[in-house]
Amino acid sequence: MISSSEIIDMDQLDHTRCRNWPFLQDFCVTCGMCASSCPASGIDGFDPRMLVRMVSLGLAEEVIDARWPWICTMCGKCENVCPMQIDIADLIRKIRSKREREKVPGILHKGLVAALETGNNLRLPKDDFIFIIEDVAEEVAEEPGFEGFKAPIDKKGANILTTIHNKLVNTHTEDLKHWWKIFHAAKEDWTVTSENWEGTSWGYFTGDDDAMKIMAGRIVEQMEKLEVKTLLWPE
Amino acid sequence: MGDKNVLVIGGGTAGLSAAVELANLGVHVELIEKSKFLGGHAIGYTCKAIENTCVKCGACMVEEKLQSAVFHPNINVLAASQVQNISQNNRFSANIRQESLVIDPEKCTNCGLCLNRCPMEGAILQGFSKNNHPFYAVNIKKCLYFKDRSCTICRDECPETAIDLDKKASEHTIEADAVLIAIGFQPFNPKDKPYGYGRFNNVVTGLDLERMLKQSGRVKKPSDNKLPQKIAFIQCVGSRDAKLNHLWCSKVCCGSALRMARLIKERQPKTEIAFFYMDVQTFGKDFEPFYREAQKDIRMIRAIPGDIYEMDDRRLKINFVNNSTHETKEEIVDLVVLSVGITPVEDIGTMSRIFKIGPDESGFLRTDHNGVFTAGTVQGPMSIPETIANSGSVAWKIKKYIDGLTIDD
Repeated sequence: MISSSEIIDMDQLDHTRCRNWPFLQDFCVTCGMCASSCPASGIDGFDPRMLVRMVSLGLAEEVIDARWPWICTMCGKCENVCPMQIDIADLIRKIRSKREREKVPGILHKGLVAALETGNNLRLPKDDFIFIIEDVAEEVAEEPGFEGFKAPIDKKGANILTTIHNKLVNTHTEDLKHWWKIFHAAKEDWTVTSENWEGTSWGYFTGDDDAMKIMAGRIVEQMEKLEVKTLLWPE
Repeated sequence: MGDKNVLVIGGGTAGLSAAVELANLGVHVELIEKSKFLGGHAIGYTCKAIENTCVKCGACMVEEKLQSAVFHPNINVLAASQVQNISQNNRFSANIRQESLVIDPEKCTNCGLCLNRCPMEGAILQGFSKNNHPFYAVNIKKCLYFKDRSCTICRDECPETAIDLDKKASEHTIEADAVLIAIGFQPFNPKDKPYGYGRFNNVVTGLDLERMLKQSGRVKKPSDNKLPQKIAFIQCVGSRDAKLNHLWCSKVCCGSALRMARLIKERQPKTEIAFFYMDVQTFGKDFEPFYREAQKDIRMIRAIPGDIYEMDDRRLKINFVNNSTHETKEEIVDLVVLSVGITPVEDIGTMSRIFKIGPDESGFLRTDHNGVFTAGTVQGPMSIPETIANSGSVAWKIKKYIDGLTIDD
């Protein structure tokens, strides 16, 4: 990151370089409401206002190589308060998309590669997934009022197909139960798939549109195969 | 010469200034004002002289214009009045409805007994200018008599029998050779900004602060009437905002806020003042030395805060980014002043309809065609001196028009 002490010759900068990035960063009046509102600003000196300025000054490599865009949680509070309607979260995603994939921060990159190769971020094999789902379903069935509860896997013609966030079959299995109990109480006809069940799409966070298309396409495929009309995508 | 008549709509800085200018040129003026008092927003502004040296805010000039207008033989003032409709057949013929003033200006001596005896807060309004006669008015929205006829204390006790609670509204017809629309501006209402205006007692607007300083000379916290230790000014609230379609700078708020900040520092030197801004709009040729002095006493922070939270003790927690360290900071203050911008006044819609003229793309109104003119902040942001200068120049255009001369700039 450029430190404040480093002097930049403004005349040497090409202000038009990022003009084709489809955002209105040139409208920035540098009011600072984004930076004042951002829950992540200040972390490693992250300053959304400065980032927007860097883009409008054409400092493309500097922002692409910087850690700042990866500190952002993309919550969107900045653009909510921005008086000039600059889509800062989308701008951040654009910057992320321009980084070489191998240089995308570790867990996001590895998780996405795993998802593209195996259908989920954890590389969890199909048998293990089915075992976990059935095991949690048995636990639910032991609770009063849920006797005989079963989690329908790959049920053809179900009303709702629901995706699974990978942490729910990893460290947060308890959270599966909340959804399922609601389905049960509502007498909902639902199902989960044994393959490509992953509901998170880290292509969103890494700015990888192609990966997002693949992940979304797989879910559509599953819906068509099982003839399910409604998708519940709780990510 | 003396038989020409001009209808001036709006009794604020612009309307008063143009009326006085025209009246001095021998033109008769019918000045109508929607509210019960003359002077518009600016009559509530305080003198901001530091160490008895004028800082050229213009507040006193409004009082001066008001006084000249009220006592000018060529000006007839109708308060609490609005145009219903207007027709033009060479001359204009306007139907005016005047709400009941209740207090008879002929009889009232401005003794103030009505205000003192009234049991209902806000039912008797008091003007800002002693030259505004009567100095008091009945607010029918609060008055118990208008609610359920349960109280007649003011009428019964008025020593001059000047109060007639049953007085009816009246209709007037005004014939005029030209019309001036000087209906001013609407201060931006910041209730939807993340600063808690209208919810947190100690968040006020710049206009609230002007009136507070004018009336009591001191700034106090609305929550407990005690002196604040720490005040934050936030600039550009409702200005330079694409989401609101307010792309303009309101021009006057930096000057007004900085002058008030320095005035508070002079009168209450222990007060700490922080000033949150994007960039400071210059005002007048004395700006440089004024701003240099201001920076000595006032902490200037080049960022607009994100959120304000009210704490249990009614103090306010502000989040903002520190420009040099790129860290978000939290700071606790006693009072927040929002420098709200100048926005088009709602009645521009009515005027557009009556006179068949459209506002500009920002929503302000400007015309000098076919005998209809505009002056002052109805055209867009202007300071008091700018408004007076603009109104003077428009008055000359009107004079030329009614004398049958061509208008040129």
